[in-house]
Amino acid sequence: MLLELSEIFKWVTTGGNRTYLLKGINIEVQEGEFISLMGPSGSGKSTLLNVIGMLDHFDEGVYHFLDEPVQNLKEKHRIELYKKYIGFVFQSYHLMDDLTVYENIEMPLLYQKYSSSERKALVADMLDRFNIVGKKNLFPTQLSGGQQQLVGIARALISKPKLILADEPTGNLNSKQSEEIMQLFKKLNEEDGVTIIQATHSEANASYGSRTIHLLDGRMVKG
Amino acid sequence: MIKHNLLLFFRNIKKYKTTFFINLIGLSSGLTCVLLIALWVVDELEVDTFHENTVYQIWNKFETPEGTRVMTWTPPVLPDAMLAQLPEVIYATAQTLPEWYKNTPLRVNGKTTKASGIFAQKDYFTIFSYPLIEGSKNQVLTDINTIVISESLAKKLFGSPEAAIGKAIEWDLMKTQATHQVSGVFKDIPSNSTTQFDYVLPFEAWKNAIIHSGGEINWVSNNPATYIVLKEGTDAKEFASKIEGFSKLQNEDVTADLVMTKYSSNYLYGNFKNGKQVAGRMDYVYLFSVIALFILIIACINFMNLSTANASRRLKEIGVKKALGSSRKTLILQYFSESILTSFIALLVACILTIIMIPTFNDITGKSLSFELDLVKTGLVLSIVLLTGVLAGSYPALHLSRFNPVSILKDQLKSSWSELWIRKGLVIFQFSLSIVLIIAVLLVSLQVQYVQSKSLGLDKDNVIYFGEEGRLKQHKKAFLEEARKIPEIVNIATTSQNIIGADINMTAGMVWSGDQEERRSRFNELRIGHDFIETMGMVLKEGRAFSKKITTDSTSIIFNEKAIKMMGLDTPIGHTVRYGDIDYTIIGVLEDFHFKSLREEVNPMFFRLENKKRSSELVARIAKGKEEIALTKLAKAYSQFNPGYSFDYTFLDSDFQAQYVAEQQVNKLSKYFAGLAIVISCLGLFGLATFTMERRRKEIGIRKTLGQGKTQITLLLSSEFVKLVGIAILIGLPISFMLSQNWLSGFAYKIDIKLWHFLSAGVITMGIALITVITQTITASNKNPIEALQQE
Repeated sequence: MLLELSEIFKWVTTGGNRTYLLKGINIEVQEGEFISLMGPSGSGKSTLLNVIGMLDHFDEGVYHFLDEPVQNLKEKHRIELYKKYIGFVFQSYHLMDDLTVYENIEMPLLYQKYSSSERKALVADMLDRFNIVGKKNLFPTQLSGGQQQLVGIARALISKPKLILADEPTGNLNSKQSEEIMQLFKKLNEEDGVTIIQATHSEANASYGSRTIHLLDGRMVKG
Repeated sequence: MIKHNLLLFFRNIKKYKTTFFINLIGLSSGLTCVLLIALWVVDELEVDTFHENTVYQIWNKFETPEGTRVMTWTPPVLPDAMLAQLPEVIYATAQTLPEWYKNTPLRVNGKTTKASGIFAQKDYFTIFSYPLIEGSKNQVLTDINTIVISESLAKKLFGSPEAAIGKAIEWDLMKTQATHQVSGVFKDIPSNSTTQFDYVLPFEAWKNAIIHSGGEINWVSNNPATYIVLKEGTDAKEFASKIEGFSKLQNEDVTADLVMTKYSSNYLYGNFKNGKQVAGRMDYVYLFSVIALFILIIACINFMNLSTANASRRLKEIGVKKALGSSRKTLILQYFSESILTSFIALLVACILTIIMIPTFNDITGKSLSFELDLVKTGLVLSIVLLTGVLAGSYPALHLSRFNPVSILKDQLKSSWSELWIRKGLVIFQFSLSIVLIIAVLLVSLQVQYVQSKSLGLDKDNVIYFGEEGRLKQHKKAFLEEARKIPEIVNIATTSQNIIGADINMTAGMVWSGDQEERRSRFNELRIGHDFIETMGMVLKEGRAFSKKITTDSTSIIFNEKAIKMMGLDTPIGHTVRYGDIDYTIIGVLEDFHFKSLREEVNPMFFRLENKKRSSELVARIAKGKEEIALTKLAKAYSQFNPGYSFDYTFLDSDFQAQYVAEQQVNKLSKYFAGLAIVISCLGLFGLATFTMERRRKEIGIRKTLGQGKTQITLLLSSEFVKLVGIAILIGLPISFMLSQNWLSGFAYKIDIKLWHFLSAGVITMGIALITVITQTITASNKNPIEALQQE
């Protein structure tokens, strides 16, 4: 088992009233799964992804990641955990505008213990694999949206994570680009065994997954 | 990682060039200022500190009806008495003041050279650390027939220091001529010594010369300065209070108490108040240190302000980095290293600027500073830079790195109120400082102008004076006759002393109503030749000046107004006063004239006709515009009487100006510094305006689509900054009012502070600030709103 969420609650308090963002979430994820989170805006998809990705805390419940109780971990330890096992892909890519494609992809490695030659090899591999060797010296603004997202995915994959969390990865792309990205995810899942959890609006994108979880107002509902 | 951060740093610079250059210009000019001022301050503090012994100066303190007076002049017999009677004193010497025998003639093989000399006792070179090249320090002045000369004088006269030893030099001072053998050569006096001289003669020779010219050597004749060195372990304070009445015990006629100060402190604490040493130049050391600090703070504020603004732009970077697994520590480190790196770049620029500007700076300050970094200075500079970097980087490093990456990336982070207030507060602070500096400059320059244009009670322009040397003494009358024949010389006369610069002789013992208590009042006294009052352009208020035709004028006396007021005489003319067992009749009252700096009140003063035996100075008034020809003719006449002598003269005006050197330096420097302060402040304001406009683009876009006009928007945007500067002015004005009152209180004659001084400074500041922001606000309000809205 890769991760397990049980009875996760998250809320914000405004003027004495609690507004629930997540309400009693129970999910088990096995390695190699491809899960789609669906639901309208504000249903809690992103919040859930952030909680799974340990970027956001939750208020109640138990979260085990590779049998480690996340809620009890110190921040330093939590960072260690997610930078080793989790990669993020964002809707608006969040590439560093001031860094080249090459440097963007290299970035996560800088926060782990890799020698410079190892980093070189890993980035070269990744550029090769995504067919963007020719673009390695360009800056993100010089690329199309689809290409930017490709770089975003490459960056997420560079540290060989077990889990990719993708928040509306095709939200800013046209349908052709979307399809290419989704195909890529599918390939990663099937061939490399990377576990993927994506949040999406689109039924079409969700259909690439092996399982779909529907969310509404922070609750899981039966599709 | 380091390479990565460096890349981000440099690309950020490239992207936000304006911000970076504002930072760089502001910070480096601020640092340049600090470096220059630091060099100056260190140099000031080091004046006279190179002596190995702790040398103390003994002063005479007189109680007079006008208050306590402390004077350099002490009894010539004092040093020996102290040495003999006080076991704490291990060395003591008398020393004549360097200004007495400035540019005096020395003759070697019939050739005359002019140099400045002092007379001192045998331990002089043991007490003071003026290193000797030739001769040993406890030998050179033991014999009365010796002379010790400086290295450059030795080279000039004999070619080298070695060659000088044993050679004969003839000197001619106070009507005494004598030939002495060179017994030693000292290294040239360093420029950071307040006592400057080219040769030293034994004090015994001076005593002989005084006696020879009719003077006395005793406890009531006060002439040379006295310096002593105390036995190690002596409590100086205790000793000082012990010796207070020392002279009075030696002789019942002595009225002076003794005051002791550290010789090395005299330069910076040169003023006395109620017999206690108080600050003098030290005030300027403080002033400039504070200015340097202010300018550095202003530059740092810019840096901080702009880096916070810049950091908010880089929030996304922080978010992404955190999401990718960067720890907070890494981010903190990154931001600190960035700001420290920027300060170091600024330091580099500042060092170059400092080196370029040192010659100009030396010109203005009259110093010979050089940019040499020793260990202490390097440490000081590095810590200043480090501190600047840490200060500037603290906000992004500590505050921004704390945020949750999710909220950053979702753009949920609104800049907090506290952040906004800090930024505004910093701008207010900056401009408050600027306005204080502007007002300071305004008042200093007005005061200096006032001082220079104030009616002095005499006409200081076109007057020269020169010493009575060589054969001039015997043939004074003939020389005066000769000089009067030169048509370009308006008037010429003799006087016992030059009236400006050196302290005019002080005397007591005047009785004007028969009360013997009056003897204690102290007057300045000048013994003058005929025509002196006319030559100097002094104004008679009542009565007449001395006249050649009236033979009884040898017992006539002229007072200044101040003296008449002090003596309380209603009808002074014809009144008889008694001085030195002679009755003098008052024949005239002079309008008060300023012979001292305007810092000081005019003293009571009187004039008597020259006692023919004494040596004196000559003053001459030259016709306007004929200076050159008059001086050539005068020099010719002079050389007829004194072949081989060079004719050295000084303009009274330049002596007068020299009294205000400090003020003039402050005036010039403060102009530069205040200008710099406001430029740096404006740079900061400009940067902030740019940043604000960028942030408010959407708001401006919405306003425009809703139909608000350009002018209205420009006004709206500008008013925000006007408010800030307005608050700064309100804070700055009272502070500068208090400061300027304080500074002006040091002058006996000063300008009145007027409201318009402050208002105009406020208006100028506001104007400059407005010009700075208005270009930005106009550009912002001219932008197409669609652009702004689309990008959101």
